[in-house]
Amino acid sequence: MNPSSLNIPVELLYKHFEHSSDAIIFFDAVHRVMSMNPQAERLLDRRVLEEPSDADSNAFCFSCRGYTSEEEPMSCLNCYLSNSEKDFSSFQLYLETKTKGVVPFSASFQTVDRAAGVRVLILRDLTNQLMTQQMLNRNTMMKSVIKAQEDERKRISRELHDSVAQELISSLVDLRVLKYLNVQEEALQKIQQTEASLTRLLEQIRNLSVELRPASLDDLGLDAAFRSHFKWIEKNYGVLVRFVAELSGQRFNSEVETVVYRVCQESVLNALKYADVDEVDVRLFASEHMLELIVSDRGIGFDVNTNDPKGTGLGIYGMKERAELVGGEVMITSGLGKGTTVHLRVPFGAVSP
Amino acid sequence: MNPNSSCYQVLIDQLREQMGYDFVSLAFAESAVNDFILTWKYASGNLNNRYKRIVLQSGKGVAGIVFKTGNPMLVSSVAEGLDPQEMYNYPILISERLSSLAAIPLYLADRVEGVLLAGYRGEQRMSQEGLNQLYGWLQGRFGDFEIKELTP
Repeated sequence: MNPSSLNIPVELLYKHFEHSSDAIIFFDAVHRVMSMNPQAERLLDRRVLEEPSDADSNAFCFSCRGYTSEEEPMSCLNCYLSNSEKDFSSFQLYLETKTKGVVPFSASFQTVDRAAGVRVLILRDLTNQLMTQQMLNRNTMMKSVIKAQEDERKRISRELHDSVAQELISSLVDLRVLKYLNVQEEALQKIQQTEASLTRLLEQIRNLSVELRPASLDDLGLDAAFRSHFKWIEKNYGVLVRFVAELSGQRFNSEVETVVYRVCQESVLNALKYADVDEVDVRLFASEHMLELIVSDRGIGFDVNTNDPKGTGLGIYGMKERAELVGGEVMITSGLGKGTTVHLRVPFGAVSP
Repeated sequence: MNPNSSCYQVLIDQLREQMGYDFVSLAFAESAVNDFILTWKYASGNLNNRYKRIVLQSGKGVAGIVFKTGNPMLVSSVAEGLDPQEMYNYPILISERLSSLAAIPLYLADRVEGVLLAGYRGEQRMSQEGLNQLYGWLQGRFGDFEIKELTP
């Protein structure tokens, strides 16, 4: 052993024990708690120090909720206290705390005095780390879900538009040819009825395809896609969308256009669902390096700081995630009675990583 | 039928006044060439003119559903009967802030050609009893339209 380590003053070690933010607990050979530091006392119930009522039970089990094994998130199998073979130098442990309920800890359990069988358990609160990890997972997950959804919509929309609708059109043409053949009056009537219902079906398929993902977005760009979408909104919801586009037919990277389209769709839908307005303003323009979209209404607004969504609360979250996919950002300004403005800024030609 | 006849505005005003509804409106279906789209042509007690912009496909919205099924529709409580997430499929409920309503099909030569909607905004509720009273008031006719007996 390095001799310098033996020169540590005992009071330093004691101070470390006293002031450490890690909980330190010493166990004797029969798994009873010998002593613990103030941090551990703050965390754990006093009852872990009591003598167990019978020899088989262990007082520490009162607080312990199990450790994370390969099989279970909270396991009691092969308890770290009694199992001396398995390596418990670093593992995750769940403990019932006095104030915060069940909390995950990063734990390390080591023998410090082999002869007397004294072991030490050192615990560090993992809540924050786990939260960060969870957020990160959720964000990456959300991004892949958004991408998968968009790709799938594109595929189905294309399929409907290019093959199902086309097939239907050729049968319609065939049907029309039939009308000019020498057929009976009765049959002619039936043919006309069928033609009408097929035309309706075709219209429905087209609507479905556009609702999934407008082909005009890929073929003609944002301006055209927005115009037809807003016309549809007006018909279906009675809300007038005043649209001003200052792009003069300029086209952008397909991913950028998709994000702008979806964010706009979501904001307008939010406005007509929650803002209690008849009119929504949408402005689309390009500044020096940014494609910008401003959706504003003069509706009832909401408090952006409260976390009390009227809907699922995922809409705004999804918009931000979508914007991040292409390196853009969404700013939402609102206040009760002040209306709401959604401002999206996306750098041109930015490609997702 | 002459949907532009001014008698319908008078009729729905009367209906609203005498029955104490907050809102009454009338939708007509267009011909098959226009895919039977429905629009609200007349309204009484409306908060704004948003209803004029609404164009419903057959089967969509309050009027579309009544038109397609040919059955009356009764929503005693919008808050309890409809999922808030689905609310925007019924634009007239949002723009007129209705809390309770009934809509009944109007027949012309055995085909549904129009939809009559009556509703409340406040605490008052449209119940089955209220729907019966509406049928009672109409007495089987509304302008040029025929109203089929309510079958329980």
